[in-house]
Amino acid sequence: MIKDRIQYPARLIVDTFGIATRCGVLLILYYYIFSTRGGVINGLTFQITAWSMFLYFAFMTLRLRDLATSIMQDIKSGTVEVLLSKPINYLSYRMWWQLGAGLYPFFVAVVLGTIALVVAVGIPASMSSWFFVGTLSIVFILGIILSLLVYAVVGLLAFWIEDIKPLYWIVDKAVMILGGSYLPVALFPKVMYQIAIWSPFGASQFVTHTVYDTWRTGYAEMIGIQVFWIVILGIIVSYMFGRAHKKVSVNGG
Amino acid sequence: MKPKIIEVKNLSKTFSFSVKKHGSSFFRNLVSPEIKTVSAVDDISFEVEEGERIAFIGPNGAGKSTTIKMLTGILFPTKGKISVLGFDPTTDRKALAYKIGTVFGQRSQLFPNLPITDSFEFFGVMYDLSKKEIASRTAELIEQFDLASFKDQPVRKLSLGQRMRAEIAVSLIHKPRIIFLDEPTIGLDVVAKKSLRELLIKINKEEKTTIFLTSHDVGDIESLCDRTIIINHGTVVRDMPTDELSKSFVHEKYLDITLEAKPKNFPELPQGIKYVQKDSNKITLAVDQRVLGVSDALQKILPYFSVSDIDVYNVDLETVIREMYEATSISK
Repeated sequence: MIKDRIQYPARLIVDTFGIATRCGVLLILYYYIFSTRGGVINGLTFQITAWSMFLYFAFMTLRLRDLATSIMQDIKSGTVEVLLSKPINYLSYRMWWQLGAGLYPFFVAVVLGTIALVVAVGIPASMSSWFFVGTLSIVFILGIILSLLVYAVVGLLAFWIEDIKPLYWIVDKAVMILGGSYLPVALFPKVMYQIAIWSPFGASQFVTHTVYDTWRTGYAEMIGIQVFWIVILGIIVSYMFGRAHKKVSVNGG
Repeated sequence: MKPKIIEVKNLSKTFSFSVKKHGSSFFRNLVSPEIKTVSAVDDISFEVEEGERIAFIGPNGAGKSTTIKMLTGILFPTKGKISVLGFDPTTDRKALAYKIGTVFGQRSQLFPNLPITDSFEFFGVMYDLSKKEIASRTAELIEQFDLASFKDQPVRKLSLGQRMRAEIAVSLIHKPRIIFLDEPTIGLDVVAKKSLRELLIKINKEEKTTIFLTSHDVGDIESLCDRTIIINHGTVVRDMPTDELSKSFVHEKYLDITLEAKPKNFPELPQGIKYVQKDSNKITLAVDQRVLGVSDALQKILPYFSVSDIDVYNVDLETVIREMYEATSISK
């Protein structure tokens, strides 16, 4: 899967450059805003904001969101039938495929982004401990599982409604907004913050919280929320996939 | 007697879908749509012995692909029983998949950006083969299917004929006991078709792989399959050895008559002779030899037309199959 992905280095460079540009533009914007407010907004420093946003964009390079559109394409093109004739679980295969496809750009983005941020803003105190590394790893893995489940629910709906693009767009934007793509979650108004914490969309991006000073007191609750949504969505996905296989229809025949 | 490896009993499959009720509101159509049911396969039964080469044919929409997809566990039957190599595809899909191969002519399973050797490796791992087994089987298939000259090219750069050879070779990586092929020669030129048919016969003879194929190409049926099952409107209308199928209309002789001049009209023909085709400068007639012989038929029809050439021949398999399709369509 990784081999297939890295066949076009130019595409990878363009993808990585696109993400770096978006992240860079937002960071410059935030740098300006923070400098007009004395370097601190709502108790959050620019350094923390920069790392939080970087974690979000690094996570995005995995492109787990593409799972939904991959499932839709498989259904539209009939590839789902080819895969169902193989000794694999279709959904697990698609999830591993997505993960494999995203690993290389993720690795590139993490290495380059980390170097750039260390040089530009330095490492905040909250990140220089084994506690950070340990909990980040857990939240990162749980975030991957949760993201795959969120997008699997959307993708599996294609078995019933074929074109899931409008729904995908809504869910994807919910993940972006509640995950802290445009505005760090720590700066959200109270109600919005609660939605970001308690919804599966925001919970799938909890990696962005690991750099906040509040992480040490809130990590257990957040990991619990992630596990809760993984269980709930896991049951839903499993039920949907069982029903979806029975819904496979035939093009031609 | 060879063991039966596919047993299908009273198999049916219906598809249900909602249709818009004319005159009903959007909300009503959304909440209680009209459900239409289409019967794709209707109570079919057949058995296949190990090592057979089966052509499963029928016109578009006859239920061929639906049946293949039920035999491979992709679709669930509405009614009836299927046993493939002793497995029920509905409940043992994964276990069955290790024993069968599938090729869907219009859908590729190869990685477009990678050489075919990567697809061999990928599917070898998928079928739980060891590294050593993958390497030796890959080498064997590359040799058998003559893939060496393009094995390092990305799949997207291969010709359709090369790609189809690779598709079939990859589907044989795990030495399946049955290979299901859904229109494997679609879009191929005559040379590529011939090569593919020869390869399939070779695999059938050397590895005893049972071949179960659907095709619209009479050449596939004639040169590849020893038995033909014809399906139409979801039901089996004929199941017989392929060479007997071509003899089904052996009582008929065909006459191609080239005309010197366009006839004013096409007269009614004597009993036992019928028009198959009427053109301004050529007509084709079918003579039922149970009613009259060819020489008698010629004597009777020559006065009607100004003839420049006559060609007498037996009916070909394509015509037999077409007539069977038409006959079963009319009876429905």
